[in-house]
Amino acid sequence: MSSNDLSLPAPRRDLRVLFGVALAAAACIAPLFLGNYGLHALIIALIFLLPAHGLNLLVGYTGLLSLAQAAFFGIGAYTSGLMAVRFGTPFYLNFLAAGLLAGAVALPLGIPALRLRATSFVMCTLGFVIIGQAIAKNWIGLTRGDMGLSGIPKPYFALGPASFTVSGTVSFYYLVLAIAVIATVAVYLIVRSAAGRNMIAIRENETLAESVGIPTWRYKLVVFMISAAFAGLGGSIYAHYLTVVSPLTFQMYYSTTMLIIVLGGGAGTISGVVFGSLLFVGLSEALRIAPEVRMIAYGLCLLALVFWFPKGFAPLMDRFWSFLKERK
Amino acid sequence: MLTMIAEQIVNGIVSGSVYAIVAVGMTMIFGVLRAINFAHGEYYMLGTFGAWFAIEYLELPYPVAIVIGVAATAVIAVVVGQFVMQRIVGAPPETGVLATLGIALVLQNTVILVFGGGYKFFSGGYIEPVSIFGFTLAEQRVLIIIVCMLVFVGLELMVTYSRFGKAMRAVSQNIECCAVVGIDVPQVALRTFILGACLAALSGVLTAPVNVSVYGGMGEIITFKTLPVIIMGGLGNVRGTFFAAMILGIAESLVATYVGLQFRDTVGFATLMLVLMWRPHGLFSMQARF
Amino acid sequence: MTHTLDRRAFCIAMGLIGLRAASTDARAEDGTIRLGIVAPMSGPNSRYGSFSLRGAQLAAKEINDAGGIGGRKITIISGDSQGTPVEGVSATRRLIDLDKADFIIGDVSSSVTLALQPVVEDAGVLLLNAASSNPKITYGAGAGGFKWTFRNYPTDENRALVVIQYAAEKKGFTKFAVLSVDTDYGRAAVEFTKKYLPRFKGQILTEDYYKEGEVDFRSVLAKIRDSGAQAIIMYGLADTTPIVARQMIEVGVAGKIPLIGNAEFNTESTIKAAPKALEGAIEAAAWLPAWDSPKSKAFVEKFKAEYHGEMPNNHAYVHWETVRLLAKAIEAAGSGDRAKVRDALSKIKYDSAMGEVTFDDHNQARLPMILLEIEGGKPVIKGAYSAEIDYPR
Repeated sequence: MSSNDLSLPAPRRDLRVLFGVALAAAACIAPLFLGNYGLHALIIALIFLLPAHGLNLLVGYTGLLSLAQAAFFGIGAYTSGLMAVRFGTPFYLNFLAAGLLAGAVALPLGIPALRLRATSFVMCTLGFVIIGQAIAKNWIGLTRGDMGLSGIPKPYFALGPASFTVSGTVSFYYLVLAIAVIATVAVYLIVRSAAGRNMIAIRENETLAESVGIPTWRYKLVVFMISAAFAGLGGSIYAHYLTVVSPLTFQMYYSTTMLIIVLGGGAGTISGVVFGSLLFVGLSEALRIAPEVRMIAYGLCLLALVFWFPKGFAPLMDRFWSFLKERK
Repeated sequence: MLTMIAEQIVNGIVSGSVYAIVAVGMTMIFGVLRAINFAHGEYYMLGTFGAWFAIEYLELPYPVAIVIGVAATAVIAVVVGQFVMQRIVGAPPETGVLATLGIALVLQNTVILVFGGGYKFFSGGYIEPVSIFGFTLAEQRVLIIIVCMLVFVGLELMVTYSRFGKAMRAVSQNIECCAVVGIDVPQVALRTFILGACLAALSGVLTAPVNVSVYGGMGEIITFKTLPVIIMGGLGNVRGTFFAAMILGIAESLVATYVGLQFRDTVGFATLMLVLMWRPHGLFSMQARF
Repeated sequence: MTHTLDRRAFCIAMGLIGLRAASTDARAEDGTIRLGIVAPMSGPNSRYGSFSLRGAQLAAKEINDAGGIGGRKITIISGDSQGTPVEGVSATRRLIDLDKADFIIGDVSSSVTLALQPVVEDAGVLLLNAASSNPKITYGAGAGGFKWTFRNYPTDENRALVVIQYAAEKKGFTKFAVLSVDTDYGRAAVEFTKKYLPRFKGQILTEDYYKEGEVDFRSVLAKIRDSGAQAIIMYGLADTTPIVARQMIEVGVAGKIPLIGNAEFNTESTIKAAPKALEGAIEAAAWLPAWDSPKSKAFVEKFKAEYHGEMPNNHAYVHWETVRLLAKAIEAAGSGDRAKVRDALSKIKYDSAMGEVTFDDHNQARLPMILLEIEGGKPVIKGAYSAEIDYPR
């Protein structure tokens, strides 16, 4: 897999920090020069960034290929939506509940699933998505099935006497941006810690990792749960943005989109995932200029990605950094 | 009551035969290429479209249409195999997943682009009902069961006795040693892939008369139904796949009748997950591989 | 070396696509009336999208050929919702922001329409719904909150009542089996049916929902055959009906247990596929080609002439009619200003092919449901029924 953030020499790291700051600044003033449509595309990219981060921890850092993200995304969306509609709770409660519930559900699912070998594990995770959709469709008492939950209110925050509602695309964009930044920082901290190094050890050679005393089983389970929690958080924002949640949220297409973001951006790198999210949502929207061939072009891009950029776009970025470094 | 259950079991065997033919192709492809072919259902769809086209536009009779459907798919499989599938051999699993997903998107949407997205009506085939042991079945369904038996017997023979079959087994067991013994691995991979795709196409063409509707997106559902079958049967295990397919077909039929049709599609994955919890290696041991 | 060349070419191509996509269209300032059509152009419901778009395009063509509205022509831009809310919202956002659409007609699927409502409300763009049947859309429109949403299509509540009433009163059916499509449409219609069943002393013996793309109904039909049901309640997809009909013959149900509900039973090709199974079918539709009014017949002829002899379906008609309705509203408002058009629309008295159309205080058009029965292989119209909707307080 590609290099991770720990092995950078000092000057490159400075450049990256500078670039990161510039990017953050650009993101903050984006609403000034992007219309509602552009902001919408960015919001979708940022919503998908959260489950992608989770998946990256699983695929990129621990070496487990999973298609289950859509299932936890859906659980998060429904949790948040149901709480908002039934109890009228403020957004941050719905948000946290979504993440916690998704992570909690991942525990009983992960224990048997992680015993399986690679291919069976992938199929099992796919099974979670399909079963999730079936439950959402048929447990009408809870989810209203296909009729879906609609009219999910805009996110509102209530802290004691003060409360405000996030309404309008621009405010929503800032909300999502803030959450995405916090999430990215959180993932960065996880990866940089000793735990992160252990995860990489498991990915590189599980047997060897066990032999030096890393409790691989526990790590895999915990990472699976954290990954699920991230997906649940993403689902929560999704529910509040679209105001409608239906069993269609549990679809394999979302799982594969997240996988494409991670693998296309560069599994095992954080900047890769961020870049991948922007790139692939951007690509999907940009291809609307040719609606009839949109999905065909998307498929061809996938093939190009797999064969020409097997490690994603991260190595390209690395080359870009070293190019800049030489210029200095 | 008993006749009711018997009837449902017969229905199950019919749909099981369809799944079996498709699944055996997918499992062989996995055995040799080590890749889950997410585009497998699309070859089923292509076979059906080929036959439909032959009947609608070329006005050929149904038996000829069967040949054309399979042949058209074979041609496409050659192209896909050469440019994509061969490169998957030896690559990490993510490559196979994404590449086959990409192929699926391209195939599905190209067909929709060329023929339009609406459902087409398949007008060929033997749909007259015939009475067997007191059950009425369309003649076509009996044909499907017979073909399924023939396919599996044929595959058994091929894999055990023919040169190609032995080469397939060799590649699925140990790729490095194949080079030592002089087996052309990319060729074997390509041919296995074409064989698998043609089997899927055959299944599609045979089922089209009773399923009536032909549309670009029909392959996706087949892929989803087949994935649990090949895992339960044991990846690369031809005999196991047959039994897993039959079990799934019957289970689906019984669930559709006694629980509700809306749960039918979940039977596959639900059964798979139960099986995996209990026997992580699949229902049938990996010894009988190929 | 070629490898690197390919990759560079790929990156450049990506860059170009990005630039092209981000550029706003200069033709936004061309003075035409810009109408966006959001419908499922791909995916399992693409048939509906294709008919909807063609119906709308036919209407636009007719109006433009006659000189446009006050001299201004209509430009139609289509957006693909794929039948899912996310895509629908994306497509609509794009239509509003990039393509500068002033009016949107969309969607077919109710769940997409529900997701579109807040979007158009925030943007102040008029949303005319022509084909979704979930009542919730108009519970929340007009006086219910979303002022920019209008619906020109009858609701499922009306439909379910009309069907079950006919089946019970005119045919004497009391035992039913349900076999409907597993979407919001199928489920909601059955829920409404259950609401009215006790009134007609009916009961449901078995209840099954089929997934879009399902092809194997033998098991369910055998179960229904042995259950003693007198009719099958089917609210489903037009494309699946021929499959079910064929298998009804196979299983021995055809001619014995009729289909009631709505799944384009009246389409000629469907009846031809399995005439025995569809004999005696009862359907409540918003429209069908056999409707005997001069405007309707004229529409059918024009559609066939324009599209190589293909018969229009329900969705083609409603979109055609809705474009004309919008044109009339713009004329009445005297300008393309969105707010003025909206007001004109709420007060309009429009002469459609189905009779006069007015909107109630929830922006719902008062439209009848046509009840028909298939007799001798042809749809025979038994009547048209309207109902005033009981809005929740």
